[in-house]
Amino acid sequence: MITFTLNGRVVETDAPATVRLLDLIRDDFELIGTKEGCGEGECGACSVFVNNLVQNSCLIPIGSIAGANIQTIEGIIETEQFKILDESYSVAGGVQCGYCIPGMIMASAALLSKNPHPSETEIREGISGNLCRCTGYNMIVDAINLAAQKGDGIWQKK
Amino acid sequence: MAEKVTAYRFDRIDETLSQLNREDCAIIAGGTDVMVLHKSRRGVPPKFSKPIVFIDHLSELKQVYQTDKDLHIGACCTYTELLEHPLIPTPIKSAIKTIAAPAIRNRGTVGGNICNASPAGDMLPLLYVYNAKVLLRSVNGDRFVAISDFIQGPRRIQRLHNEIVTEIILPSVLEEGTHVIFEKVGNRNADAIAKVSFAGFMRINKERIEDIRFAFGAVGPTMIRSREIEKKLVGKTLPLADAEIDTIVAEFDKIIRPIDDQRSTAVYRKTVALNLLRYFLSLKQ
Repeated sequence: MITFTLNGRVVETDAPATVRLLDLIRDDFELIGTKEGCGEGECGACSVFVNNLVQNSCLIPIGSIAGANIQTIEGIIETEQFKILDESYSVAGGVQCGYCIPGMIMASAALLSKNPHPSETEIREGISGNLCRCTGYNMIVDAINLAAQKGDGIWQKK
Repeated sequence: MAEKVTAYRFDRIDETLSQLNREDCAIIAGGTDVMVLHKSRRGVPPKFSKPIVFIDHLSELKQVYQTDKDLHIGACCTYTELLEHPLIPTPIKSAIKTIAAPAIRNRGTVGGNICNASPAGDMLPLLYVYNAKVLLRSVNGDRFVAISDFIQGPRRIQRLHNEIVTEIILPSVLEEGTHVIFEKVGNRNADAIAKVSFAGFMRINKERIEDIRFAFGAVGPTMIRSREIEKKLVGKTLPLADAEIDTIVAEFDKIIRPIDDQRSTAVYRKTVALNLLRYFLSLKQ
C-alpha cells in the first residue's frame, strides 16, 4: 500500500509500484487535467508538483512517491496564483487547443514561485520542457510576463 | 490487468544493500531514463524483469561535501540540487543549465545518468574531463572505479548486482586557472538527446598549458578521450599556433568514428565534434 498526499488530501493506493503517477492520477483518482503527450518526459503535458517541484508524472513510478506531496492542476485551481495565470493566459491569447495548458500552467507557476520577475530568456527557459504546437510560444511568454506583473508579491506565498 | 511486481523502498542504505546482496534487482533512482526504457503502451505499467529497488530517497546518497580538494557528489543528487549547491563548480552548473528542462532536472540524478551509460549521456563528457571516480558500495565494502573504466559500452557498466553507486568524486577541483567548457548540440535546447557533445578542460599557468583534457559524447559507444593526444599539448603556450591546432584536430579525426542514426549522421557528428575541438583550442584564455 502506498500512501501520499494528493491535492491536500492523504490518499492510498494498492496499485503496483511501477504504475506511472500519470496513470494513477488520471485513471484511479479521475483527475484528468494532467495530460499525456509523449510519455517520455519531453513534452511537459503531464507536469505535476512533487514536494513543490515541477516534475513529469509520466516518468514517476508511484513506488517512489510514498509520503510525498503531489499537486495536480486541479489542486492549484483555487489559488490566487492560478487565478492570475488563468486571467493572464486569456488576455494574452496564450491558449489555443489547450492540451498543453495544464502543464504550461504548472511550469509557469513553478517558474514564478522561484523567480517572480523573470526575463524573457528565463521565461523561455522555464517552459523549455513544455511543448505547444499551436501558439508558437510567444503568447505564452506574454502571458507569463503579464502574470508576473499582475501577481507582483503573490508568488512567494505558499 | 497490471502484473504483480516486487518493489523495495527501504529507509536505510544498509537494508538496501542487504537486499541487493540477496537478490538481483533493477535499481531506480530518478527513473527518468529507466521509465522510458521499460515503457509499455498507455495505461500499462512499465515492465521490469527483476524486482525493483527505489533508492532516490536515501539521504546518504544526496550529500555533497569536500575533503581536501576532492568534491564528493551523492549519486542521487538531482540536477536541480546541484544547481543550487554552493560547492558545485560554476562550469558544471553552466552545463547543467543546458541539460534537459526544469521538470527533468528536478528528478534526474547524476548517478542515474552515469549508470544509464548512454553514448550521449549529458553529464559524461564533463565527468570524464574532471577525471571523476565512481564510488560503489556493497555489503562487502567500498571500491572506487575511474568513470572511464566504469562505463564499458552503451548501457554496460562495471557494477556488480549487489552494488550501488553512492558517490561521484571529482578529484582536485581547482577553480584557479582552470577553464572548462561544455557544448551540447541537439535538435532543441531543452530535453533533446545530444547529437554531439564536447567538454574541454584546461589549466594554465600564465600562458603555459599545465593540464588539458577533452572528451566527446555521442560520437562513439562511450565518451572519446585520448590521454596521448592531450599530453602533446602540455607545456605549450597560448595562443596555440594554427599548425598545432591542425595537428591535434587531425589526430582526433582518425579516432572519432561516429555512426548514422535517427538523430544525426556520422558526417555531421564528426564535423561538429572537430569544430568544437578547434573552437576550444582557439579560445584566448
